[in-house]
Amino acid sequence: MDSSKLDSLLEDLSSVHKLPRLLAAADDVDKIIELLSTAREHVAEKLDPHTTSLTMTKLQNPIKTAFEKVNDDLKAASASHKKVGKSLDKYFPLKPLPTENDAMANQVPLINRAIAMHLLREGQFSVAEAFIQEAQADSPHERSDDFDHPMDESVEDAGAARSTTPMLSNDDDYDLSSLHSKELQEKFAEMYTILQELKARNLLPAIEWARANSAELEARGSNLEFELSKLQFVWLFKGPGVNRLPDDQHNGWAGALAYARQHFDRFQERHVREIQQLASAMVFAPNLPESPYKSIFSIEGAFGDVAASFTREFCSLLGLSAESPLYLAVTAGALALPQLMKYMLATRAKGTEWTTAHELPFETPLPESMLYHSIFVCPVSKEQTTDANPPMVIPCGHMLARETLQKLCKGTRFKCPYCPSEGQLKDARQIIL
Amino acid sequence: MVDEASKINHDNHLLLDQPCLRLPYELLRKNFRSAHFQFEKESTFVKTLLKETANGSLNGKTSPQDVVKNLDQMLAKMRGLKRKLTTYAEEENRLYRQIDARVAHLHELASVSTVDDVKYEAWSRQRLDRLLVDYMLRHGYNSSAISLADDKAMRDLVDIDTFVVMSKIRKSLEGGSVQEALAWCSENKKELRRMQSSLEFMLRSQQFIEMIRANSQPEIEAINYARKFIQPFHDTYPEEVKQLSGLLAYRPGTEPATYASLYSASRWQKLADKFVEEYLKLLGLPMVPLLHIALSSGLSALKTPACHSARSQGQGGVAIKNKSSSAAAAAQNGSNDTTTEPSLSSQPRQHHGTASLTTRVCPICSTELNALARNVRYAHHGKSRLLEHDLMLLPNGRVYGKARLDEYAAKSGLESGRVKDLVTGEVFDAAEMRKVFVT
Repeated sequence: MDSSKLDSLLEDLSSVHKLPRLLAAADDVDKIIELLSTAREHVAEKLDPHTTSLTMTKLQNPIKTAFEKVNDDLKAASASHKKVGKSLDKYFPLKPLPTENDAMANQVPLINRAIAMHLLREGQFSVAEAFIQEAQADSPHERSDDFDHPMDESVEDAGAARSTTPMLSNDDDYDLSSLHSKELQEKFAEMYTILQELKARNLLPAIEWARANSAELEARGSNLEFELSKLQFVWLFKGPGVNRLPDDQHNGWAGALAYARQHFDRFQERHVREIQQLASAMVFAPNLPESPYKSIFSIEGAFGDVAASFTREFCSLLGLSAESPLYLAVTAGALALPQLMKYMLATRAKGTEWTTAHELPFETPLPESMLYHSIFVCPVSKEQTTDANPPMVIPCGHMLARETLQKLCKGTRFKCPYCPSEGQLKDARQIIL
Repeated sequence: MVDEASKINHDNHLLLDQPCLRLPYELLRKNFRSAHFQFEKESTFVKTLLKETANGSLNGKTSPQDVVKNLDQMLAKMRGLKRKLTTYAEEENRLYRQIDARVAHLHELASVSTVDDVKYEAWSRQRLDRLLVDYMLRHGYNSSAISLADDKAMRDLVDIDTFVVMSKIRKSLEGGSVQEALAWCSENKKELRRMQSSLEFMLRSQQFIEMIRANSQPEIEAINYARKFIQPFHDTYPEEVKQLSGLLAYRPGTEPATYASLYSASRWQKLADKFVEEYLKLLGLPMVPLLHIALSSGLSALKTPACHSARSQGQGGVAIKNKSSSAAAAAQNGSNDTTTEPSLSSQPRQHHGTASLTTRVCPICSTELNALARNVRYAHHGKSRLLEHDLMLLPNGRVYGKARLDEYAAKSGLESGRVKDLVTGEVFDAAEMRKVFVT
């Protein structure tokens, strides 16, 4: 594999700290000061014209040399800078970023809101507090950043799929005061406390939270409460040698059994099989590692897993994604930026404009991990399905975009482009993917 | 399976990070220019005086007492130079330290080859923090920026000083004072001239306008000021200079639009904006926050038609804020939960019983970004990309992967042969499902 420019750049720059610096010039000014002081002493001592003129004449050359030395130091320092500049130009040539038509310029309140929520969800409470305060103080006299190049509103509006209401009328819905940052902060503080406890291998606060929200979790098909309780059972089962909890009747084999009796009843209906497994495993208690149940009782990674599920469920109940959307968007932005810049360079050269108002005119491939919705591209029209042109299933089970289907139709009948079957338009079903 | 899109092209991945290395370099040069200027100034002075003194003492015109005086003067200059050079050298050290820190930061990326590497996430998070600090600083949210930078121990990765200076001058202009900006202009005279900047002229004009505004009659003071500071711009800005001289006749509150606009208070904001523009340009910094660039590109890349769809709100969309429908959804889920604060519950309700199982809430659909992403374009896809396989159509028109339907049915404790819609919660006979094919 050939090494990238980045490697060369970093190699070049990693040695810059050895290059000559300005400090040498500052140090060498001392020599001038020394020469001048000595001369002054000589002259002041005698105050006699002869000595004075002799001293002053003799001073000329050394001072000149000393100045030259400082000048050389400066040249060397400047050469160092130029070396840095050369490496940058060679391996990291400046590519101007697309800053014209900044679509985000008039979205400051919404960006601020996204940042505030990001800081809160990351547990950066004090930064969030300072930020909300400063952003709010800033908002009353909103600066019109786009004074000189007003945004092309019509183009932007066309991009909104269903924006019947102009943005401004919803403004108070979107500013920071509607963020209820106190409540959000309390929520996230609760999340962090519980996560902290999980890290310290204390499952009880998480179980308590899951129980309090069990109706909603169940509706989501989440087994978080049971997973946590199961882990608590296993954790107790391991006994004081592993869990370091007090060695009493609430711990170990007996403690686990007592815990199961007390709490597993509510899971009987939905998780009967798993509970049976746990019970059977107890039979193997003395020799668990060799038993078929050893995987249930291996807790390696189990705490990390429940912590991740807990975070996901906690955020979901707040209507938020488990990972910071701001983080994802900025990461995706960095991944897609090369395509955007390539496209802008090409179109600027050709003088053409962006044509499709709703859709980007070029592909910005993102990794699988950044795919959140299934994308259906009609195999005939090659268009993505939208509200206006939704996906349809025809009787043979093939999917097409509605506009494609309408074009395929001869009267009310059509033939599937992918298999020999024919269908009636009325039998095609609009679907939600 | 190799996911091509998850590979990192190192030479292409650092577009947003150009200023991160470029700025310290620009500052090194700027710092050097100041140091060199001081040296030239003081050394010329000392050299000249030294020669004069030597000659004077040789031909008897300068007494030894005066020679001592002159030497003292030279010493003072050189001690001053020493002090200044030391300060510049310290600044240089700081900048080299920044370069080192930034090189180390980029080194971390160089060792990562795919975005799925956990090390990439750590790096990318740090990049986000850098972009956030940049954004905060550019908006003058300085305490937030400093607090975040300190929290993450990354002062050397961000450019607090540069932007704090900028926002101080910007605020002074917004507050109606030109002094700070003029001082900055004279510090950067050469570069501004090379850029053909009109900033100094604009500042001088404003000062002149304020002088006239402050006095009821055209004062000799304002006229003198104009002679000294406005007249030199006559060749470059003849029209504007003519207009300004007209102010001596047209007092504040005057009718003609051209003159009225000169007295307008909005000129201060324009000046502030102009200053910011020149300041950024001089340092080679992008005109808009890096976060804006990242978001414009990222929101589009992630956005799909479903994210603001009226129809598939079940995919986790919070696009529709209809309280009655969300209440209905909640009731449908059998959720009587009243512990959530009303203000919080109004938005996320749709998610209950929706993004079930392990589907992840889409970042564009999430509350944080949904409104922000409304007006950006959605990503272009040349071919279908499906999250699930073995698609099944339920009688209500919704399509899910078979595996997920099975899992949800099991988790919901349904009897066999029944399936449950992951969004609406409706229960159907498995026999009513139909296979769907995507070609």
